[in-house]
Amino acid sequence: MSMIKLAFLNFKNSFKNYLALILSLAFTVLVLYNFQNLIDSQAFEVLGTRNRDYIEMLVQMVSFVLCCFMFFFIWYSTNVFLTGRKKEIGIYVFMGLSNEKIGKMYLMETIFIGLSSLILGLALGALSAGLFQLILLAISDITVEIRFRPGIRPMAFTTAAYGIVYMIFVVKGYVNIVKSSVLSMVSASRQNEYVRQNRMILFVKTVVGVGILCQGYFLALREGRIEVMVNALGAVVLVTAGVYLLFGGLIPLVIQFLAGRKRFLYKKQRILWMNSVIFRMKKNYRTYAMVSVLMLCSVTALATGFAMKGRYEGIIQFESTYTFQLLTGNGDLDGKAREAIEKENRIVLSAQIPILSLDSSYINAEMQNNRYAILSFSRLKQLAQETGMKLETEELAEDEVIRLSHLILMSFITKKTGIQVKIGGKTYRQVMDTDAPYLGYLQESIDFYVVNDREYERLLAMGEEMYTYNYRVGDLEKFPQTRDSLDRMIEGLGEEAHTGRVAIDPENNELDWIKVLYSICIFMFLVFILASGSIMFMKLYNDAFEEKERYLVMRKMGFDRQILRKSVEAELMAAYGMTFVVMAVSSFFSVKALGKMMRMDLTAVNVVSVAAVLGILAVWYLLSVWAYERNVGMERY
Amino acid sequence: MNENNGGNLARQKAAEIKNLIKTYGAKGFQAKVLKGIDLTIYKHDFIAIMGPSGSGKTTLLNILSTIDKPTAGTVMLDGQDITRASNRELSRLRREKIGFIFQDYNLLDTMTLQDNIVLPLSLDGVSGKVCIEKARELADMFGLKEHLNKYPYQLSGGQKQRGAACRALITNPELIFADEPTGALDSKAGRELLECLKMVNDGGKATILMVTHDPFCASYAKDVCMLSDGVITCRISRGTDRKEFYDRIVDVQTSMGGDFSCQ
Repeated sequence: MSMIKLAFLNFKNSFKNYLALILSLAFTVLVLYNFQNLIDSQAFEVLGTRNRDYIEMLVQMVSFVLCCFMFFFIWYSTNVFLTGRKKEIGIYVFMGLSNEKIGKMYLMETIFIGLSSLILGLALGALSAGLFQLILLAISDITVEIRFRPGIRPMAFTTAAYGIVYMIFVVKGYVNIVKSSVLSMVSASRQNEYVRQNRMILFVKTVVGVGILCQGYFLALREGRIEVMVNALGAVVLVTAGVYLLFGGLIPLVIQFLAGRKRFLYKKQRILWMNSVIFRMKKNYRTYAMVSVLMLCSVTALATGFAMKGRYEGIIQFESTYTFQLLTGNGDLDGKAREAIEKENRIVLSAQIPILSLDSSYINAEMQNNRYAILSFSRLKQLAQETGMKLETEELAEDEVIRLSHLILMSFITKKTGIQVKIGGKTYRQVMDTDAPYLGYLQESIDFYVVNDREYERLLAMGEEMYTYNYRVGDLEKFPQTRDSLDRMIEGLGEEAHTGRVAIDPENNELDWIKVLYSICIFMFLVFILASGSIMFMKLYNDAFEEKERYLVMRKMGFDRQILRKSVEAELMAAYGMTFVVMAVSSFFSVKALGKMMRMDLTAVNVVSVAAVLGILAVWYLLSVWAYERNVGMERY
Repeated sequence: MNENNGGNLARQKAAEIKNLIKTYGAKGFQAKVLKGIDLTIYKHDFIAIMGPSGSGKTTLLNILSTIDKPTAGTVMLDGQDITRASNRELSRLRREKIGFIFQDYNLLDTMTLQDNIVLPLSLDGVSGKVCIEKARELADMFGLKEHLNKYPYQLSGGQKQRGAACRALITNPELIFADEPTGALDSKAGRELLECLKMVNDGGKATILMVTHDPFCASYAKDVCMLSDGVITCRISRGTDRKEFYDRIVDVQTSMGGDFSCQ
């Protein structure tokens, strides 16, 4: 029989055992294909070029993250597969097969698995792509008619990305087998004899791990300006390494310490499950760490999604503070503007305020290319009173400024205190940075600084004073007519008035890409949580087979099924629980960092996201308990 | 059957087996393994069941230890017929009334020796303090005091089996079933285990029913029942001299013929 035939027969006979692996790999292929397919689909054409470009950029970024995820997932699963096969490989050694021949057989079998997963993933991906887009658009609240046809480019991209990553690890496995000593292959099944880990090593890992983790958390929360980006990257690396060392150090150290307190340990089924956890910890801690980090990605993705949705609504509300805004050199335009608007609509909110437009050369702030304008404090206070908005600051000192900013999606500049601004040669202390929409959409295109009235008078000589007239109308359905009426009035003014008009169209969809970002975040959340759950499930599913003999002994000894069941539940709860707790604690810092970048309090979002993960994890836990009990043969009790 | 029970009338029964029959296979192709066993085990007895391969030793032990069910007959344990007990009751019986010593020790390799010994007691909800005291007492008796914090892989076969004996004894069971307890041990380790079992039996702390093929092992018991072709053919008692008892066992074994090797 040829090697290919033998490998194919092996693959065919063990197909049921490989099914979990094939399905998991196919799932990663399906997700990557579906995201890639979004680029070629014409679903987003209708949103305009700007939206489409943004969405394409997002999809490419997500694809990169997915490829990274795929890399680690394939690394993990091929490793588990190889370890499982090593016992069988030992038998081949006794049959007289050389390492090269065994390696070739492994190579062929894993290629069969890889190909099956790829074909299955692409086929399911092609079938589900329409549905995927439909759901994505429905979550994004975008109505577009979907015409779907499977594209060749996304298939080629997915095949190439998956193929390259997969082959790297297949070849790595082959080299591993070829270079393995016969002894290590034969004794692969006896490698987990040592139950407890060396306390000194655990202690060192604990100290290093806690230190690294705390440093990671500190970097995540550290305020700063452009260095925040480097800090964020550093935090990701340190938290990942810290979590890894936490599961390899602190957690086993604590459990071993508790198990050493015999009066604590000898409490019904605790003796069983705690000893099992200690036994498993050495083998499983990398998996637990990986699952914890994946869940952290999942929570952060969901929190980003929720925050984006909230921010999108916030921006729309911010921009819609006024429906029409006039920026003009004419200080007496209110009457005419009102008349033009009221011809077609009714005004529900209005405000006017003079602004001092300054050339950016007079201002030494962060962004040199922005447009800048100065407001006087008393006029802003008056506007706030007229519009019912709050301005919670007393009179400004001569060297103090308030910055009026707008709602942004995200900024790496998180430091907002101790900022100094130089205006017209004088240095001011920025005492407040507010995103209250006093001047609505104008705040998005102009950076406003508020100074006290005397300073305003002083600065008048350096720039040009202009007037803003701001109106919100009550009947948005009559927006086009009202806009036309206002435009006719402006045309009638002639060119010397230099009047500019801003109109916020309620039908405007230029920010729709944020809604797509929200949906993508939700999908990323699902991908990560499904992946973490399935990794955990696969691990415990395999562990259960190894536990079968132990449970048979306990059955012979007459241990109550209820007690054994409770022990299984507690053991699995410990596995899921510790990954969840580490994730929940770390998520506080990751979401807090996200909140700082988005300049909003995401505590509620954090709680909801963690609760969502907990809900899905609970389902995985119940599934794992069920499968575990079946695999250890408990139903035969 | 020669049941020497004259002096046992006043003694308390630990178990009573009446007309125990076990057949295997489908109707028409049945093999009768046990053909009507009658045996009364009194408290503080130490009985060895011997017999050639295929005589039904293991089947008898499996039924007595509630792991298997008989085709007919009764087994009274602590006043209850275990052949009619529900699974839940059987579990309780195994846990509270029976202790097991297996040929291959069956210690859980995820636990220290002490944890293995106290496991049945701890699962029963006994306080940690009592568990520790009892484990130390038994370990002392079986010469395992120094090894309590070791894992099974760090122990010799004899130490493991003595640990398994401690585990079987810790709940003060009515009966201890030992299935070829020295089968996997060398002669020294086997002797040490048997001395320990004899000591706890002589001290009135255990009633033991042991299945063995080894006459030396059987000579540590107070009585030996010879099982042949599904029935108990004879029962011999030790008296005072263990060596003389051993010779008698060998004589009976020789007269019975058959393959007495370990299965």
